[in-house]
Amino acid sequence: MPHQSNLEGSKIDTLTSRLGTLLASRRQSLEWDAAYQEILLRLDREGFLSGIISVGAAFPDFVLPNADGRLVALADHLTRGPVVLSFFRGEWCPFCKLTLTALTEALPRIEAVGASLLALTPETGGLPLSMKQRHGAAFEVLADVDFGVGLSAGVVFKIPKLYRARLVASNVNFPQRHGNAAWCLPVPATFIIAPDGTIAWRFVDADFSHRAEPDDIVAAIRRV
Amino acid sequence: MELSQVRYFVTLCRTLNFSRAAEQCNVTQPAFSRAVQRLEDELGGALLFRERNLTRLTELGRAMRPHLEAMLEAADAATALAQAKRRNLQTSLKIGLGPGIGAASIAGAVGEVTKMLPDCAIHFDESGPTALIDAMLTDRLDCALLAEDCDLPERLNRWPLYTETAVAVMPSEHRLATQNAVTARDVLDETLLVGERCGDFTKDLEQLTGLSLRQKRCNGAAAQLLDLVAAGLGIALLSGRLRFAAPLAVRKFTEPDLTRRILLTAVAGRPLNPAAASFVKLCRAQGFS
Repeated sequence: MPHQSNLEGSKIDTLTSRLGTLLASRRQSLEWDAAYQEILLRLDREGFLSGIISVGAAFPDFVLPNADGRLVALADHLTRGPVVLSFFRGEWCPFCKLTLTALTEALPRIEAVGASLLALTPETGGLPLSMKQRHGAAFEVLADVDFGVGLSAGVVFKIPKLYRARLVASNVNFPQRHGNAAWCLPVPATFIIAPDGTIAWRFVDADFSHRAEPDDIVAAIRRV
Repeated sequence: MELSQVRYFVTLCRTLNFSRAAEQCNVTQPAFSRAVQRLEDELGGALLFRERNLTRLTELGRAMRPHLEAMLEAADAATALAQAKRRNLQTSLKIGLGPGIGAASIAGAVGEVTKMLPDCAIHFDESGPTALIDAMLTDRLDCALLAEDCDLPERLNRWPLYTETAVAVMPSEHRLATQNAVTARDVLDETLLVGERCGDFTKDLEQLTGLSLRQKRCNGAAAQLLDLVAAGLGIALLSGRLRFAAPLAVRKFTEPDLTRRILLTAVAGRPLNPAAASFVKLCRAQGFS
């Protein structure tokens, strides 16, 4: 992994710096950059983030299938402590891959402060299991089939034209991967849900190259 | 997009009347209209023609409707199942199985549903595609597993689950049981037992090879057909995903390989009860390899 030099030495090789390096390499392509900018502009103009469920609100209770074919209830995890719930775009997304790697590394620290981690992906057809296996993830990967929980949380958006065209050109077949042809995705969002079901902390961003830094997640769990 | 915006739009699709839809959603009409307008902004165009006496869906509205309905159902189902689990809701799960499609592959998913909802009653209905489709459309079945080659009406959602391969099933003392695999040439001198409820692998074999095969018809379920195989009446070409017990021998069928894709189907736009909705989600999430 290339290290990015930073004025603050302590920031070297954070998830944020790895994502920044990846973004910089992607933006070399003018077409990619235009598609990326379109998403940012669009979501910003619509005030998209204001529609996302906020700190203090109750996170909607849910049951979803996990990667291993079991049903997982949010409420069951909350009886054991706070829950870190993170929305992912899918195994095809390099930014998600970096984030999943970072979370896999951070899992012992998250569990040491008494929390469990749930990763939600809109993908189906065994893709949640490949996502879990490829990252050796010891946390739950849940299939948010048809974006149900994402919609309840307000994190789902319809992919604008240019980005969709890029996905099609790269053979990322969403109708097949999602089992629906809505061409939607969640924005990156991480919620820390307190044992009483309310949101204690959240990270949301319209920019899919921005993700919650594991250190910030751990610090926020400590404050719950 | 927000849950309320999607809920308003889906209600509007059903009523085609702004004031009635707003009333059903318990909001004022200006708030309702603003929410729909914001959804239109996000989706990049008008979803409805707003004419004086007529509200109609635009092409974009018609295209987005089934997707937004599915997303709204998924959101409601995820919450409804959480509630049903707390209350131990009495419910049912009614699954149709097309000809020759076994329940072994989906038994795990059924088990998960009953673990979460112990009072859920399970019904299986094994029948031909026409009867199963009719049962789904008239709300007597929640969903059905069907082979891809049947005619599915537009109103049915379909998700590919797995591809199954035919095997040759015979008594364990049969001469072909000494072989590792059985080919079309091997079965030329055999009687093949076929049944309307056992899948069309024999018919597929005839069509693929142009061979005329000796057949005996048995219109029962796969279990009865297998009893006849065990009794020495003939051999059968069946899905390799069925469960077979001794004294039957099961051999790979090859040259040609006979396969069919199995789809999970359910009526589009009709909300399922929490048991059925979670069963469908479990099946869709899995890889079935």
